Amino acid sequence: MPFNAKSMKFNANINTVEIGTGDKAIKIGGENTFPFYTFDAPTVNAPKVGIEISDMGLANEPDCIKAVYAGCESVVDMAKKAVTFEGVDFLALKLEGGDPNGENKPTEELVELAKAVAEAVDAPLVIEGCKNVEKDAELLSKCAEALQGKNVLLMSSKEENYKSIGASAGLAYNQKVGAESSVDINLAKQLNVLLSQLGVNSQAVVMNVGSAAAGYGFEYVISTMDRIKAAALQQGDNTLQMPIITPVAGDAWGVKEASASEADVPEWGCVESRAIDMEVATAAAVLASASDAVILKHPVSVATISKMIKELA
Amino acid sequence: MGKFITIGERIHCISPVIRKAMAERDPEPILKRAKEQLDAGATYLDLNIGPAENDGEDLMKWAVQLLQSNFDNVPLALDTANMKAIEAGISVYNRAKGKPIVNSADAGSRIEYIDLAAANDAIVVALCSADGVPADNDERMMHCQNMLERGMMLGMEAEDLWFDPLFLVVKGMQDKQMIVLEAIKMFSDMGLNSTGGLSNNSNGMPKHIRPIMDSALVAMCMMQGLTSAIVNPCDLRLMETIKSCDVFKNNTLYADSYLEI
Repeated sequence: MPFNAKSMKFNANINTVEIGTGDKAIKIGGENTFPFYTFDAPTVNAPKVGIEISDMGLANEPDCIKAVYAGCESVVDMAKKAVTFEGVDFLALKLEGGDPNGENKPTEELVELAKAVAEAVDAPLVIEGCKNVEKDAELLSKCAEALQGKNVLLMSSKEENYKSIGASAGLAYNQKVGAESSVDINLAKQLNVLLSQLGVNSQAVVMNVGSAAAGYGFEYVISTMDRIKAAALQQGDNTLQMPIITPVAGDAWGVKEASASEADVPEWGCVESRAIDMEVATAAAVLASASDAVILKHPVSVATISKMIKELA
Repeated sequence: MGKFITIGERIHCISPVIRKAMAERDPEPILKRAKEQLDAGATYLDLNIGPAENDGEDLMKWAVQLLQSNFDNVPLALDTANMKAIEAGISVYNRAKGKPIVNSADAGSRIEYIDLAAANDAIVVALCSADGVPADNDERMMHCQNMLERGMMLGMEAEDLWFDPLFLVVKGMQDKQMIVLEAIKMFSDMGLNSTGGLSNNSNGMPKHIRPIMDSALVAMCMMQGLTSAIVNPCDLRLMETIKSCDVFKNNTLYADSYLEI
């Protein structure tokens, strides 16, 4: 008997969410198959890769990143340079300096910076908060207002602050809302339900379901993503059909494999290649599981993952 | 496994309000009941126009188009003794949200409803009975096999025959209840879909008792593998039970607001 391949194309699909404006705008999601299953159905929108910079400039960055942005005198300069690297689909601006337990920069200052960056580049923009829920509620809401018309994605709408970020980004200013949970499938679903009960159009929501560096509780990340994608596609659960964006850089660059100096562990070799390896391994795994977009830090990681996507999607 | 499918039973010509609305082609009472059921979480709506011997075809077309145009092509179960009316309904039916269900065939005088479903690429409710209540599960499964074979011979997919074990009333047939539940398990073990008029169990009971009995039975049925039921979705206790059982069966992912969606 001849072999007949059974297509595993589902009757449900992930929502398509557009970020940015004009020619550079990107579409994420839209798929009705598991990631890279091009033998089941053609890829709708290939996964997208973003590059991350911080409002802190190069102050907290390792030497190799300082070298990447050598010559840049401001965050805006860094932004302009970042979007020129090969494979960059969007820019992620992390406003970590807003953290009350850190630099505690005033909201106005950070919003001004976000506006300046948005003016300087035409790539789609993703704004990440400072991880403090109260500050993020204010900061991201103000950014949503200030960046009207730019169609940006505002990350970090969590269970504790989804009402303010959802209302500003999703309802008042017509931006995209990032629903963030930390490796908790039930909470990921709940947050989407709460946002939709608030009135936010589910087509304007992107999920960040949490991440970790490969090797650090990573199996929970992958099982969470797998379960979400299965619920969305196999069970047709429309409260989970939002595309997934995963900020990989923060976790990958934070672990000792990526940060321990060559002086401390000479047997591990070059710290820059270790960090890139960690970032690439983590990004490749979350893309193969469920992510529709990843946020990375090193241009080599971006180029590598972008090439992988081109080969597979 | 997909979620349990509820077929709302409240658009039924046995109700004087609905009968009058159907006779007069008055949309409002029908739309009101449809909305109530959909808001309460029904997936399919049953559309029972009764024997409809005179104007069944015209009535069914009107009702199908009325419901689908007002409720985003809501999937429907077409329920009447008039086969031509079912075909007429299917001829104007939009499949965007699911195939039409032919309600219903049996293994006796209504066996040709299977042919009708096969000819129209529809789902069919296949009642495992020929004349009256089957004596035992040997008889139920014989009917099941016969109807399954007939459907498949006509080119149907097995999944489009939804077997109905024939739910029995507790007051009078209490000793047969476990047999019905065992039949559901047999359908499930064969990988077959199933459905039925589950609330028949509580016929004749006081109004406040019925939701309790129906909820208990639906939970036991879902444990046995029942995949659908024709019920009153406005029964909140019943719907909460179904949603909770869908969580236990891993048919749907839990979230704190699971009862609200």
